[in-house]
Amino acid sequence: MAAPILQVRNLRTQFSTQDGIVKAVDDVSFELYPGETLGIVGESGSGKSVTALSILRLVPEPGRIVSGQILFHNEDLMHMSDEDVREIRGRDIAMIFQDPQSSLNPVLRVGFQIDEAMIAHGKSKPDAHVRTIELLKRVRIPAAETRVKDFPHQLSGGMRQRAMIAMGLANAPQILIADEPTTALDVTVQAQILELLGDLNRELGTAIIMITHNMGVVAGLCTRVIVMYAGQIVEQGPVDQIFENPQHPYTWSLLKSIPRVDAVRHERLRSIEGIAPDLLRPPSGCRFHPRCPFRIEKCYTDEPTLKEVAPDDLAACWVTMDRARKEMGADEMVDIRPGAGSGVHKGRES
Amino acid sequence: MTAQAAEARPAPSPGAAKSLVRVEQVVKHFPAGFGTSVKAVDGVSFEIREGETLGLVGESGCGKSTLARLVTQLLPVTSGKIFLGDVELTSLGGEKLRQQRRQLQMIFQDPFASLDPRMTVGDIIAEPLDNFGVLRGRKRNERVQELLRIVGLNPNFNNRYPHEFSGGQRQRIGVARALALNPKLVVCDEAISALDVSIQAQIVNLLEDLQQKFKLTYLFIAHDLSVVRHISDRVMVMYLGKIVEVADSAGTYTDPKHPYTKALLSAIPVPDPKIQRGRRLVELSGEIPSPIHPPSGCRFHTRCPIARVPTPCAEIEPPLEEKVRDHLAACHFSQDV
Repeated sequence: MAAPILQVRNLRTQFSTQDGIVKAVDDVSFELYPGETLGIVGESGSGKSVTALSILRLVPEPGRIVSGQILFHNEDLMHMSDEDVREIRGRDIAMIFQDPQSSLNPVLRVGFQIDEAMIAHGKSKPDAHVRTIELLKRVRIPAAETRVKDFPHQLSGGMRQRAMIAMGLANAPQILIADEPTTALDVTVQAQILELLGDLNRELGTAIIMITHNMGVVAGLCTRVIVMYAGQIVEQGPVDQIFENPQHPYTWSLLKSIPRVDAVRHERLRSIEGIAPDLLRPPSGCRFHPRCPFRIEKCYTDEPTLKEVAPDDLAACWVTMDRARKEMGADEMVDIRPGAGSGVHKGRES
Repeated sequence: MTAQAAEARPAPSPGAAKSLVRVEQVVKHFPAGFGTSVKAVDGVSFEIREGETLGLVGESGCGKSTLARLVTQLLPVTSGKIFLGDVELTSLGGEKLRQQRRQLQMIFQDPFASLDPRMTVGDIIAEPLDNFGVLRGRKRNERVQELLRIVGLNPNFNNRYPHEFSGGQRQRIGVARALALNPKLVVCDEAISALDVSIQAQIVNLLEDLQQKFKLTYLFIAHDLSVVRHISDRVMVMYLGKIVEVADSAGTYTDPKHPYTKALLSAIPVPDPKIQRGRRLVELSGEIPSPIHPPSGCRFHTRCPIARVPTPCAEIEPPLEEKVRDHLAACHFSQDV
């Protein structure tokens, strides 16, 4: 395999609040390879967006990257001056956000805002303008020549997100970080945007980091996936492997808790007991242990680290699903609290 | 033929369950200035059968939330009739309508906005009881605690405030409030959309359990088709103020009779990479037209991959009619879908 273009090593990002320090990202390490599509999934508060913002050193106050390295082509972004990082931002690594409405300036024409992204990195105004129209065509905005003059409010949500993608691609970056880019969109529009991202990845070779809570989005677009929980990576590996045979109980539960549109019969969903932990006081041992149906004594006290549990599959778990299936009857477990229940699956169906 | 006459009334199939709610030719137009109007719901007819979950899906702006508010009579209809059992809600007003509202409850999308932050959870849940003067004093408090237990919360939480609860717990409080008066119909308007995936499953399971226990009827509105398929007995698809397809959920999902339903289904990502990679997206051209000036004929014809324009699709509005048994669709060429 080629050398990674991006390496995140032992990243820790924290927010100091009145109540204490929130460890939003706690010792996260991963690599991104050229031309790859990497998914980062997790629920709210798992640290996936903060990880993305940390890569570009865009963590908002009172957040702070406490330690770690962000190596872009082996150069540490953490040790660069603000100007140097600004050079990389938008040129080599671009980012698009969830809400295109608030990422675009409402009083400036869309075309102008895309021009700006290139002018900031040294392109001349006329050159930038020509490329903007090309880009808008590239992201399949119809009548691009006239649309460049539109203001953001004149575009639909899907079109605005396309314009954001065009802006992200303006300087032909090597990495595009997409933070929940389709969450605010309708499903048919979401599908179009995902297809567009897939095409751009194949045709331009742009590596994509897709941050999402939607397992389906990852399944369609990504080749590799990282699952985050409470500020840490709990599992990572190739999508086929992770979706077919997840080893971390959190990944497993997450996949079991979503109904599928192609379901053949009605199966009761497996919900995850309890709620996400408070990152001011994360649980001891494995952070997932209070919600984990397969916890053992060790999980309360010892923090598991990522290790290879199957070929290419890294999971941070003392038990892993292979054992949970064999020894704990994981596949036969169902919710046992009827009526109010819905949360717990600690026992078997009687 | 007027647009409204084109809509056939769903024929109740023999031996089917009794209908609880009947909606007949309901229209809701909102004035949009300059003599124009937003045709949010434009002539829809359907029934909700007793004890079933009727799913309602469609993209933003299709009129599904407006329809929910019409069914619960939180909005007056522009024209048309809505029946609850034998009572015509749309002919009632004032106190008579208020009394009927006991039967119709709603669970809202945002568990943060739908609970008054300055009321205790107990008072929130008891508000319907207080409004109708049903229970007082100790009986009232017992009922509140019972409701908390029913939705899986600690009964002693009744003196706490909403901010002390997580999103999922708040949604449970919303469910408890909706059940306080033993309603017949509960309308869930995007009731789980704001929740995290793992919490969604808890609420979906809870709703299913409660339905069995209390013989509830649900109108379940969501943009997430996977969840709707999971929870619904029948599914209704809306596009631009019109119902385009109604069928049992297996029928809608495995054998759609309307090209819009088919496109919608193809767009849902399946959390299985091997399957997802092989799926083909039915691309819709263009964007959802404005509900102020909906397209002529079939409203979907401007984006439809199989439309024959101009005739008949751009000229004649297809009626919502039975294509196969218990499977209604509004399309001239449903055999080609």
